[in-house]
Formats: sequence, structure tokens, C-alpha cells
Amino acid sequence: MNFSDETVMAYADGELDAATRAALEAAMALDEPLAQRVARHRALRGRLRAALDPVLDEPLPERLLASVRGAPAQRPAAEVTALQRKAAPRWSWPQWGAIAASLVGGALLGPLLSRTPAGGAVVTRDGQVLASGALARALTGQLASRQPPGAPVQIGVSFRARNGDYCRTFVLREKNALAGLACRGHEAWRLEVLAQNPAEPAAAAGYRPAASALPPGVARTLDELIAGEPLDAGAEAAARERGWQP
Amino acid sequence: MEENGTHERNAGIDVGASSQELREGLVTLLPRLRRFARALTRDVHDADDLVQIALERALTRAGQLRPDAPLSSWMFGIVRNAWLDELRARGRRTRLFAPAESGEQVGDASHGAPADLLAVQEALSRLPEEQRAAVALVLIEGLSYKEAAHIMEVPIGTLTSRLARGREALQEMLGETTGALP
Repeated sequence: MNFSDETVMAYADGELDAATRAALEAAMALDEPLAQRVARHRALRGRLRAALDPVLDEPLPERLLASVRGAPAQRPAAEVTALQRKAAPRWSWPQWGAIAASLVGGALLGPLLSRTPAGGAVVTRDGQVLASGALARALTGQLASRQPPGAPVQIGVSFRARNGDYCRTFVLREKNALAGLACRGHEAWRLEVLAQNPAEPAAAAGYRPAASALPPGVARTLDELIAGEPLDAGAEAAARERGWQP
Repeated sequence: MEENGTHERNAGIDVGASSQELREGLVTLLPRLRRFARALTRDVHDADDLVQIALERALTRAGQLRPDAPLSSWMFGIVRNAWLDELRARGRRTRLFAPAESGEQVGDASHGAPADLLAVQEALSRLPEEQRAAVALVLIEGLSYKEAAHIMEVPIGTLTSRLARGREALQEMLGETTGALP
């Protein structure tokens, strides 16, 4: 089966309908050049994001803040929200910026996989990174409102993405703690971003409690994907009942 | 966000309850607006000027923001339109393709910016404006085709073809450079 450039691009951008997406994914498993076309699109996105994302961490120019405030004697609440990004722990693993930006590319996955706990929390398949093992089980079964304190995976925020998929943030509590965000496909949890978790997320309190412990790259992905508000406990349980299918 | 006439009457000066909400939303969005503007303009001063103009416009037009519309889409649209206005005002040629000038500004403004940022911005700046906007909205800001098309006020098919062409051109330009400016 041949896929047009437009279809391949739409796939890389997460814009395909479920049927075409499934067909393309099936084809990718057998068709290396096709997988490379997808990878090329993703690599470009990753490169653009790696180049431009540092802008997000720049201090905000005072003149822009003044423009927004309009009047000088505003209460500073709004500043706190925006500056949180700056105050959050710096990305401790810069090369992951590129990866945080897009799906993790196969070539760059090596160093990460070697750091994950034995048992494999992630696997790659067809150029996608999927949750497996304890991570997959926690994503599917664990409720943020009722998680065992010592569980190896802590679930953060669950939400509906703009494309309708259910997504959840998580932290792997192992020596080299990893944090990430996964979205539910038909059969598996697809990792949208995976990042090293900063040692102690101390300062970033108040902004979004459940997500404040996440590295900036993960929080940013969450901001970009989320449609509306995170699920509350009731909605989370209901989504689990439906197997996280839209 | 209340939809009533008070915003227009008090354009940009009033700090009412709903206006306060808008201001807080804008501050939160600022980092992304700056990133988007940087992708459009390449130059940090131009980008911040652009954001400032967009913020001022947004505050004077607060009444036009529909309660169910995401603030981000509305703002990206305002930033982009402000940029188009600016381009028209300048006359496309004078500034966009003035290597010495922009080179100096890039060097001046980007203290320690990684070479790849310069390479990427250089490549973006060579794209036709409508391709650059499509790339910036979808690939950098992560918007859906639908949202990007809405912001650019074009049908989705137009958006995707601009995106595809922009991508191809970028692949070609960036594939050749490995992070350094030519």
C-alpha cells in the first residue's frame, strides 16, 4: 500500500483518522522507507522545537509584562503564574529538549532505555515508544486519587487531549527517575514525552499541584495537548471503566 | 470572560474583573507568544515588539474574544496579523533580506544562543511568510491543522499544502547545514 506524502505528514502530526493511522502503522512495520519518511518529519519537528523552545525559558521582558498589566499597581498574582516556568528547576539533561519536543526518535532512545529500570517501562514499536510492564499497568489501572504510596509508578494528571485521546502524566520512582506523558491509543499507551525528573521539585508549588513535580518539558507538552481541564477523580474513574477509549 | 460593551468603552485602561482574567491569561501565554513571534520574525527585538503590539491590540479588543474560544488561538491570530501589517508597512524587501543588519541584530540579541537556533531561524526566515506561519503554528506551537487553518483564515487543504512545502524547504535547508550558519 502506498501512502502519499500528505498522509505521511498527517500521521507524523497526529492528524490521521484512526483507520488510516492503523493502516499506516501496520505498513510501517514492514516498510522501512515508510518508517523513515515518518521519522524524517518527526526529526524536523524535534529540531525546530529544540531550537525555539529555549525562548520559553527566557526571562520575560519587563516592557511586555507592563503592557499586559496596563496599570502599574496590579496585584502580582499573574506574574507568579508566568514566572513559575522560569523558577522551575532547569532542565537537567539538555539534549532531551529535542526529544521532549516530539516523540522520542529511535536513534536517540538508546541512552534512555539503558537508564530505565530492568523490566522495561518502555518499548519501541514501529518508530513509536510505547509503555510496557509496570508503567503500562499503572497507566491503565491506577487512579491518581487512590494510589499505593510505594507504587513504582505515580500517576499525575489525567486529561483529554485535543484529538480526543486520554492522556496521563506519570513519574517512575526509581533511581533515575523519569517523568513523562502518555496517551492512550487503541492498544497501547504511546509516550508523547519522557524526561529525566529533576531531583526535588521543591519550588514549583501552587501552579498545578499534580503536575508541578514534572520536568518543564513534560509540563509543556501537557499544556499543549490538553483540551479543557484535567479530569477530576470521578471522570478519571469513568475513563478507566471505558478502557481509556474516547 | 463577560461579553458586554464595557471592554470597548474602557479599551486597554480598565482593570475590571474579566479584564483581570484576560491579563492573567496573557501573562501565562507570554512565553509561547514570544516563541511564536521569534519563529515569525527571527529577530528578538522585532519579536518582542510584535508581541507588545499584539498584547495592546488584545486588551483593546477584549470584547471580541468569544468565551468558548481558546485565548491562545485568538492571540496567535493577533500576533500573526500584526506581523502581516508590519510586513506591509515595511515593504517586504527592505528589512527581511538585509543580511548585514539582521545578522548584527541576531548576534547582538542572542547572547550565547546555540548555533542551531540561528540556523533554524535563518532557514525559517527564508520561507515564504504563509509557509513560515504554518510551520510555526503546527510544528513549533503544536496546534492542530484545524486550529492553524482557523488562525490563518484559510481552508485546511491550503494549510496542509503550505505546511508540506514549508517542511520540504526546511528539510532541504537544514539538511545541508549541521547547525552552523552558512
